[in-house]
Amino acid sequence: MSAAPRFSLQNINKRFGEVNANSNVNLDIYPNEVIALLGENGAGKSTLMKLLYGFYTPDAGEIVVEGEPLVAHSPKQSLRLGIGMLFQQFNLVPALSVLENLLLAFPAAPWWQWRRRRLTTDVLACLQRIAPDIDPQRLVRDLSVGEQQVVELAKIMALNAQLVILDEPTAVLTPQEVERLYQFVAQCRADGKVVVFITHKLADVRACATRIVVMRQGRIVGDWRTETVTDNELIQAMVGKDTGLIVNRIAPPKHLLPKLMVKRLNVSSRVGTITAMDFEVSPGEVLGIAGVMGNGQRALAMVLAGILVPDSGEVILDGVSINALAHETIKVPDNVAYIPESPLTNAVVAQLDLATNLQLRALDALPFLQWGMPALHEAQHKLAAHDVRPSDPHLSAGALSGGNLQKLVIARELSRPVQLVIACYPTMGLDLIATRNVYERLFAQAEQGACIIWFSEELDDLLRYAHRIMVLHGGRVQSIGPVASFDRQRIGRLMTGHAQAC
Amino acid sequence: MLRDYVHRLLRPGLLVILFIGVILLFFILIGKPPLQMFWSMLTYSMGDVFSLSETLAKTTPILFCALAVIVPARLGLISVGGEGQLYVGALTGTWAALQFPDAGLWILPVMLFAGAAGGAFWGGITGVLKAWAGVHETISTLLLNYVGILLVSHLVYGPWKDTANLGWPATRSFPVNAILPKFHATQIHLGLLIAMILAIVLHVLLNHSRWGLSLKILQRNPAVAALSGLNPIRQTILVMLVGGMLAGLGGISEVSAIQGRLQPTISSGYGLAGFLVAWLSAQQPMRALLIAFLFGALLAAADSLQMFAHVPAASAVVLQGLIFLTALIINQLPSQWRIPFWTK
Repeated sequence: MSAAPRFSLQNINKRFGEVNANSNVNLDIYPNEVIALLGENGAGKSTLMKLLYGFYTPDAGEIVVEGEPLVAHSPKQSLRLGIGMLFQQFNLVPALSVLENLLLAFPAAPWWQWRRRRLTTDVLACLQRIAPDIDPQRLVRDLSVGEQQVVELAKIMALNAQLVILDEPTAVLTPQEVERLYQFVAQCRADGKVVVFITHKLADVRACATRIVVMRQGRIVGDWRTETVTDNELIQAMVGKDTGLIVNRIAPPKHLLPKLMVKRLNVSSRVGTITAMDFEVSPGEVLGIAGVMGNGQRALAMVLAGILVPDSGEVILDGVSINALAHETIKVPDNVAYIPESPLTNAVVAQLDLATNLQLRALDALPFLQWGMPALHEAQHKLAAHDVRPSDPHLSAGALSGGNLQKLVIARELSRPVQLVIACYPTMGLDLIATRNVYERLFAQAEQGACIIWFSEELDDLLRYAHRIMVLHGGRVQSIGPVASFDRQRIGRLMTGHAQAC
Repeated sequence: MLRDYVHRLLRPGLLVILFIGVILLFFILIGKPPLQMFWSMLTYSMGDVFSLSETLAKTTPILFCALAVIVPARLGLISVGGEGQLYVGALTGTWAALQFPDAGLWILPVMLFAGAAGGAFWGGITGVLKAWAGVHETISTLLLNYVGILLVSHLVYGPWKDTANLGWPATRSFPVNAILPKFHATQIHLGLLIAMILAIVLHVLLNHSRWGLSLKILQRNPAVAALSGLNPIRQTILVMLVGGMLAGLGGISEVSAIQGRLQPTISSGYGLAGFLVAWLSAQQPMRALLIAFLFGALLAAADSLQMFAHVPAASAVVLQGLIFLTALIINQLPSQWRIPFWTK
């Protein structure tokens, strides 16, 4: 390593209640590095960087910048020191324009300099450099998530940050936006800035890091130059033991008589539109569905689940029309497992306990009067089997983190044999081990003959596990075919509306 | 452990002290000796058998109206229609009672059923409007109150007026067998027993039954209803029917037992009092039972104070409002000061 470190974290300790978020962490950051900070959910990556940014104060340990130990560190001081951080939650005012949001970021601008021309020109130049296609007069609320992230980055750059911390920046982006982010990181490095890139995706690491630091349970457990380490070593360091993380793709279905048929489907609703959609799925087949969010996925999932009545066309499962049922009572049929997106809003009742939430699909099976928890033993068993933490069935669902809620829903939906599984982004917010468990359970259903409709933004996983892939764009099937006929770039192009060309 | 316990007792205790303070302050403001008046309130509401009987007689319709608010509230519907449902229940119950002047005791259940049905119909209008047309339940119950009250006025001033009364607007007296039995020589009648039994039944149904759970799910996250096969339309209409039925029972029992005939004014603000009781009880029927008793005492005391101390009877309404407002304000305080009373 060259010369003296620019930023140095020494013997950092931080506790939150019972949890040791960081214990005795030492990390030196040298000039001209791009560090990937890698680790599972809850490994302490974000905490460590928030300490460096001054958002938290360490319980013990020192932060040294250019040889000077910091006293009374704060985000304000970070600004002066040139430390900028991109948080997972954006700090933008939706009702203001892009330009106004950028100007707001300057702490010292007194009100009479609000429209100061110099500042405006500087800020606009900065935005121009990293995102020439964003109109500074547009309102932030009209921007996509990816564009909002770019505005946040412009804010950091306008403040002339020398150390840029990115907290899981690729979690919310489309493949094209991810590419642009990688270019941004490369640009930062070329400008002599230091970047710390928090992630749990190996693809991110390979694309832009010069050095990889792996954290597990609040400690640094590995520190390599990118070219000297293999993916397997990284995974092993992240999860702590040698687990076969790669699930095998299950054998494609043998008999190809369709089990699920979608015929001339047309939907126009507030959750999205679907136009003239036709496809069939065989028993045991995994159909992966790719697309930029908001291109009809939600409507399609709800129609398949029988809870949105289409304008025309029908969905037939095992010879029974799902939508004909929906005209009587709106209900997901018992032989369908439905894992909707955002479980907190769509799949659980936050105020009710875990045991009751596990029973939601089978309320009729409960006795009319009930004094204790419903099916307590079964609930305890399911919670343990799916590693939902904390696993106390008396807790209310609102107390669980996003990833654990996802596990709770999966425990409810995939614990019994079904004929059709509709899984919308089932691994969102899950770490590697939990992701593997979800895939195993999902594909076990296929092995027993269920059709799997699997919406995902993890293109690599879709390509690895699906039998066929369907790409949605603007509520239409942009392309559907066996997985062998797709690759990342082709899916990316189809997702953004480019026709068959490849 | 002990600290938790102390805390639990301390907070409602503080609330009661605060309420007493509000009442004393009110008397100071209207220029009456506060402590003496407060003592009078206590004696006029529970000092002897007569006062207690007055209190319990007023508790009955308040409890019915509170239950009528609690049931829809468990689905997240804010009904303020207790008053109108009470009037319409009284109206249909009276109709049944007056149809059979020579009836035997069988007329009692028939009359109660008719009253319940009338109230249910009135609540059901709101339920149907809400479920099928999305009309806000608070608005429709509020407006239907006026319609219900004026409907009763129309009938007792017009077609149903007993001509033997000369100018006095009221129907004929109920036949003897259509008067709810009273407890000894007091004003406490069968309605109180019915209301208490219904409160217990509702407590069990709302907190421990599959139906109560369905309401919870629909209230907390309607998006999940489709996963469970719950029907929000059916439940909306059902809770309004049940709520209306309860208030209707309150109306007919009040008219039958206390007034003996249908008059233009049946209720001294029971609908409002019931609404306040329902929300102070955090929609728990068993707590509503206790709080309805306190509100009954307040109304009974105000009646007596008007007679003996020249305090306007409207004071009861003012005090109810002040108490409710105090509870609301306390609920907005930072959580460590808040009373765990209201939120559930």
